[in-house]
Amino acid sequence: MNWLDISSSAFIAAFFLYCFAFLFYVIAVAGRKWSNRKPEEHVRKWSRIGFVFSTIGLAAHLVFFFTRWAGAGHIPTSNMYEFMTFLGMSIMIAFTIIYLIYRSPLLGMFALPLTIVIVAYAAVFPQKVQPLVPALQSNWLKVHVTTAALGEAFFAVGFAAGLMYLLRVIDFKGTDKAAKRAQRWIEFTLYVIIVIVGFIGAVFLFRGMDYQASFTQTNISYDKTGAESITEDTVEYTLPPIVKPYNSVTTAVEPFLGMESPLFEAPSWMNGVNAGRKLNTVIWSIIAGTLLYGILRLVFRKPLGAVIHPTLEGIDPEDLDEISYRSIAIGFPVFTLGALIFAMIWAEQAWGRFWGWDPKEVWALITWLYYSAYLHLRLSRGWQGHRSSWLAVIGFIVVMFTLIGVNLIIAGLHSYAGVDG
Amino acid sequence: MFQNTKCECGHQNHAGTVLCESCGKPLIAELAGDNAPLEMRYDGAARRSQKANPGLIDRVWNFFSSVKIAVILIVITLLGAMLGTIYPQEGTFINFNDPDYYEDTYGLPGKIYYMLGLSHTYESWWFIGLLVMIGTSLVICSLDRVLPLYKALNKQQIRKHLQFITRQKVVYTGRIEDTDTEGWTARLGEQLRKRRYKVYRDGDALLAEKNRFSRWGPYINHIGLILFLLAVLARSIPGWHMDTYAAVPEGDTVRLADTNYYLKNVEFSVDYYSNEELPEELQDTARAKKYETKAELYECVDNCTDIMGDPVLEKVAEHNIIVNSPLSYKGLKAYQFDYDPTPKLKAVNPMLVDKKTGEAYGPFHLSITEPELLYELGPYRLELITRFMDFTINEQGKPATKSREPNAPAFLFLVKGPDLDPAGETFIYFPKQVDKQRFSQDLLNRELADRIEFRVDSMEEVEISGATSHLNIRVDKAMPYIWVGAAISMIGLVMGFYWNHRRIWLRIDNGILSLGAHTNKNWYGMRNDVAAVLRKVDIEVDPKSLDNGGNKT
Repeated sequence: MNWLDISSSAFIAAFFLYCFAFLFYVIAVAGRKWSNRKPEEHVRKWSRIGFVFSTIGLAAHLVFFFTRWAGAGHIPTSNMYEFMTFLGMSIMIAFTIIYLIYRSPLLGMFALPLTIVIVAYAAVFPQKVQPLVPALQSNWLKVHVTTAALGEAFFAVGFAAGLMYLLRVIDFKGTDKAAKRAQRWIEFTLYVIIVIVGFIGAVFLFRGMDYQASFTQTNISYDKTGAESITEDTVEYTLPPIVKPYNSVTTAVEPFLGMESPLFEAPSWMNGVNAGRKLNTVIWSIIAGTLLYGILRLVFRKPLGAVIHPTLEGIDPEDLDEISYRSIAIGFPVFTLGALIFAMIWAEQAWGRFWGWDPKEVWALITWLYYSAYLHLRLSRGWQGHRSSWLAVIGFIVVMFTLIGVNLIIAGLHSYAGVDG
Repeated sequence: MFQNTKCECGHQNHAGTVLCESCGKPLIAELAGDNAPLEMRYDGAARRSQKANPGLIDRVWNFFSSVKIAVILIVITLLGAMLGTIYPQEGTFINFNDPDYYEDTYGLPGKIYYMLGLSHTYESWWFIGLLVMIGTSLVICSLDRVLPLYKALNKQQIRKHLQFITRQKVVYTGRIEDTDTEGWTARLGEQLRKRRYKVYRDGDALLAEKNRFSRWGPYINHIGLILFLLAVLARSIPGWHMDTYAAVPEGDTVRLADTNYYLKNVEFSVDYYSNEELPEELQDTARAKKYETKAELYECVDNCTDIMGDPVLEKVAEHNIIVNSPLSYKGLKAYQFDYDPTPKLKAVNPMLVDKKTGEAYGPFHLSITEPELLYELGPYRLELITRFMDFTINEQGKPATKSREPNAPAFLFLVKGPDLDPAGETFIYFPKQVDKQRFSQDLLNRELADRIEFRVDSMEEVEISGATSHLNIRVDKAMPYIWVGAAISMIGLVMGFYWNHRRIWLRIDNGILSLGAHTNKNWYGMRNDVAAVLRKVDIEVDPKSLDNGGNKT
């Protein structure tokens, strides 16, 4: 058994340990009102079990990380799979630190599913170890990526706590305009999370079925001198094609539920790399997510927010607000150091300029500006509670766009980060 | 509005003061009435921006001193920066000179994008203007707050007004059984000292304080950011910033544009990953592992501007340049940027053949990049009129060059010799066989083509250079300031976020203890501190119950 085999086993172990830990945290929080027990004792007991499992999970995750490092010969943070698993691990580290400060089992109920989703999302990407291109052969790969991810992980915990706060305080019985609006938005947030879960589910479902389709796409491009060049590319699909690439011919499509050919073609203005396939993936995610959401609604017969809300009853919302803020406050200097300063030092060494307005750099700056606005609003303008929590939730969307969206939608110098969705 | 700013304790406060600078009593009428927790920002001291009769400068000052304005500026900058990432910026192309590029590539949205100037968002006046305004806001916001804060923290009174204490956000009141109130206060002070508080006592009143330095964190961070922004602006000072590219074929020495330096590419090599190192799906792909230019840097010491004489060069540095490891000499840096492994024609040594007599003269050395202006070959005399590196016929039907790369070199000579027009006849020569046919050299030369030809006899007469290394040459004199600014900013952030300024005031009036505590961040920790200290003097209290409501930051 070599290093990489140990590594994959550890990865699977970590994944399941996280799932169990999540379950135990849910029992700790939701089971307080079960009969014949003292609520405090129940919470203490089950949150301790949950913490033990999440810590062993983190240990397994660390084993995964270091054995893969040993097997690959370089730090496993160089492509999307490696980075996303590392982000998941960082969230667990951040969660553990915050948990040790505040001892709040509730946080586990929200931070763990976040980690689980991110780790599962990582598994969507190709998992092969890839040799490093010259630009990545630097010690700064270790320092820059890890610090930036740790900072972002604290933002993620801030997001989890902020979302919990909102689910705790939003008045789900209220009928006035403000309450309705808050209910709608929190439901939308939950829906988006379920769409992401739907995406992961769809990818694994069709991967399990070994589904394949391919197209030949004709691309017409103009170089800088205005000369026209025509290239033919093969586009491989792993999800049944609802949308085919712009200007393409079907090579092979396996029928799925009687659907033998794509329903329509991607519009011409979507001309990024593999735009057609990405659009197809987005459509499938929405279908799968909506289906999943619909099933959940049928089971519970009320908005999901209203389902979660009662389990959080009796929890001090101010604690959640504070945890959310503190997590972001701890993460902010780490993020500044990792995502901006170390990034600038490395960029200066590799490309000769510390700042080049590359989309990834710009989005790191946007994230930083966003959280500095958050901190100023909170510290100087007294934005707390609702408003601060919404900002924490939106902030995490900005973080995720910087990490994934930029790679999927905007190409730039960081495009070597191996995105293949 | 006239406001009486003299407190009942006798202290004369500045206009705009919220809490008496000395005893802390709320001064504003509407504050004095209720019992809500006090706003403790800058300890209630007046800021410059709260001056009574603002003039023009005061108004500008007030505008930039507002945190609300600062946040609005940050948000606008953030949104503006987003716009710049929709399409690639012009700066991502080495030489951007095609105004139709955005329209051709992205259609109408691309055209609008280009017309709005968003294709160079980050160099636009409004974006730089926003950065300058943020810089101004940083300076003014900081000055407006740090001075009153410093004064307030520097002269703190120990015995505070009772209202000041009981209207803090962390409050405890209770009866003390001990009749020796001073002794009791001293014992509590001892406990606070153990928790690394600095304790000041005035009879049975006490002030305990720790980590005051963390209050300066935000201001130190802002100083760092200001320095950083100034350094960025300083890059536009002439000579502070240079960014050019040099293509250096293996074995060649090239002068670096706008400098007195020459760079020699001694050897260029590329290593590829072997199949054992590659995963299955990448087998047999040429994936570069490392490319390296063995470079030597020379400085010109004499004959530098003289066109006729050769410059006198002196070696000053050498380095094996790879990605992530540039050559660096006195602020000049050469980065491995790219490489072109296709060999380039460097020189040919053709013979001039008189087609009538069959006699051959030469060979003569014709360098592609540095040809001689005159060649004498037997009875013939070749005067170089002009040279094209990348020959083409332009829209006006005239010969022209497409680029400076020697892709299709061509030489136009004025030939003089036996039986030729005494004034000379023109002759164009394409050293590459493929260009000779492509551009129909013989047709272009008309009758002269029947009289003479240039002939290269063997491959030995062709000189080819190895791979060309593309280097990015940079000078950035602002860098040290950038790093210092970033370091200061980082120190400020760590100070401000990882330590909290905590203060505890207490006084005992007729056996009743009144304790109030304040921190700038982390109220959870503040409450735990107070509860832990009280426990040591046998007052059991749940940290959460100390919460007097209000804000938690």
